[in-house]
Amino acid sequence: MSFLDAKPGVPLLESDDLVRHYEVNRGLGKPNATVKALDGVSFSLEAQKTLAVVGESGCGKSTLGRQLTLIEKPTSGALKLNGTEVGHLSDKEAKQFRRTVQMIFQNPYGSLNPRKKVGQILAEPVLLNMDNLGRKEREERVRATMAKVGLRPEFYQRYPHMFSGGQRQRIAIARALILEPKVIVADEPVSALDVSVQAQVLNLMMDLQEEMNVAYVFISHDLSVVRHIADDVMVMYLGRVAEKGPTEEIFAKPLHPYTRALLASAPKIDPTQRVKAEPLTGELPSPINPPSGCAFHKRCPFATEECAKVRPELRNFEGREVACHRVEEIA
Amino acid sequence: MALLEVKNLTVEFGSEDKPFRAVDSVSYSVDRGEVLGIVGESGSGKSVSSLAVMGLIDFPGRVSADSLTFDGQDLLTMPAKRRREITGKDIAMIFQDPMSALNPCFTVEAQIMEALKVHEGGNKKQRRERTLELLNQVGIPDPKSRMTAYPHQLSGGMSQRIVIAMAIACKPRLLIADEPTTALDVTIQAQIIDLLLKLQEDSDMGLILITHDLALVSEAANRIQVMYAGQLFESGPADSIFAAPRHPYTQALLEALPERSEGHDRLRTIPGVVPGQYDRPAGCLLAPRCRYANESCVKARPEVSDFNGRDVRCFYPLNDQGQPTGMATGETV
Repeated sequence: MSFLDAKPGVPLLESDDLVRHYEVNRGLGKPNATVKALDGVSFSLEAQKTLAVVGESGCGKSTLGRQLTLIEKPTSGALKLNGTEVGHLSDKEAKQFRRTVQMIFQNPYGSLNPRKKVGQILAEPVLLNMDNLGRKEREERVRATMAKVGLRPEFYQRYPHMFSGGQRQRIAIARALILEPKVIVADEPVSALDVSVQAQVLNLMMDLQEEMNVAYVFISHDLSVVRHIADDVMVMYLGRVAEKGPTEEIFAKPLHPYTRALLASAPKIDPTQRVKAEPLTGELPSPINPPSGCAFHKRCPFATEECAKVRPELRNFEGREVACHRVEEIA
Repeated sequence: MALLEVKNLTVEFGSEDKPFRAVDSVSYSVDRGEVLGIVGESGSGKSVSSLAVMGLIDFPGRVSADSLTFDGQDLLTMPAKRRREITGKDIAMIFQDPMSALNPCFTVEAQIMEALKVHEGGNKKQRRERTLELLNQVGIPDPKSRMTAYPHQLSGGMSQRIVIAMAIACKPRLLIADEPTTALDVTIQAQIIDLLLKLQEDSDMGLILITHDLALVSEAANRIQVMYAGQLFESGPADSIFAAPRHPYTQALLEALPERSEGHDRLRTIPGVVPGQYDRPAGCLLAPRCRYANESCVKARPEVSDFNGRDVRCFYPLNDQGQPTGMATGETV
């Protein structure tokens, strides 16, 4: 199928104005409300690169992950793999797509079937997607992938409950890798892990990226992890992109007031890096009833009347894309 | 005299002859107006040790200590009734997940008023006024209408504020906050930590801040203690403990942080995992994972000793250059 072949000059995964709305039943006699979980998100991901999606809970980053893997179909907008639109594939074609785009879930305690052994868990994607392989070859493939992610061969016959969080996440990574995908969508892959184990898993993910040439969409709320692993960062707020650009530039000089607030509120271990900024007041507004104009204006220290009325669009500024009316003044 | 004085606190679970030590001879003290940070990975005993202080370890857990005194009174030997008067009033606790710490069946008002009724008495009108005052104090917008809200109507940050209001309802002298912001977003985390520190300063309260976030604790605490597998590994003042770690574990933890790495370099990891119930090593608990460990570390367990004004549990505490001291030459790795 055409979307499986890489084309020169065309980004591997591309999303154009991706929208996902959910209808919410508000009770008898009331009209349904629409939650704009994802409201026009565009980005492109090159092969072997890492794009980090950052934001607070409720900003739509996990919803984005579910669209990218076609777990859900987007309401509107285009999702392109190798330049071919894939958002509205038939089920049969979607199966081909999923071989190329795999997912790692946040909680390794919830994402592994407790009644299956590691060998069975890892064999399942092979069984479903590579039916030309015999039993022997399948087992070989499972064992080879286990070795790649640092799981010992004797773990083949063990159940998930026998493993620690870090090793479970290795199993989940192996399951995502076993079909040799081109893109892995990792939804908070290390947030359930301790610092020392988190470092092991991050290193593994970076090694595997070099070895197997996968690209990551790395969804996370932990800014220090993002800074370490990502090439590009996309900051989201209430279903929309606030700022997008190369990691180092964004961390060196955040432009959008929300990015600034995010960076300032993350605690720093090095006293010289601490910035004494007023913490953001208020909380993320409800996506059922988002504020008019810029969604951030009620919490923004720079907000003007214009911000309350007109929604800022993403535009280029200093080689980055920022959605803020006053970016020239505050930069 | 310190507000809370803990000496050799041990918490054991399991059978008498083969107990599992969740907390192993931990000693610390907290003064009035002081913020003590306790950091450690999961399974390090940081939560269990504070539950023991609150008297919340139930059968079959066993708590023992050389002394566990609050304001000069021994908590372990006092009658249970007297202890209940102290816990919840003078010592209060905030739990990790605000969503599950609140009872979904009762309004915010009813839950805060319950604590007031038990410890302060007074009539309903006074209690309601005090509740309103508390909600104001913890920065809840439009507190009057939130009084009658149920927990499911509140966001995570808002629920945590309610939990804090409940904890400070009886003006405690010691507040234990067990991972108070782990379930919250960074911007909300900053708000909640600011609130806790402000309350602590205003009332000269002692605060124990338990967390796994090294950066958070280094910003908020005056003194920090690092725990590992139930033992205290290192403790010292916040401004120096992460600048010059004396224990190899503290050093390794810091090196595993992504912010310490340059560009796309690999992080320096600590191999293996925290030992569980059945695989505790005979010697130093860190020995299998420690990059400096030698034979004596595998054989014997180090005690906590003073090293340059820091309490360190290591045979070879690190010097300013981050190299182990006291090893025979040629013995290092």
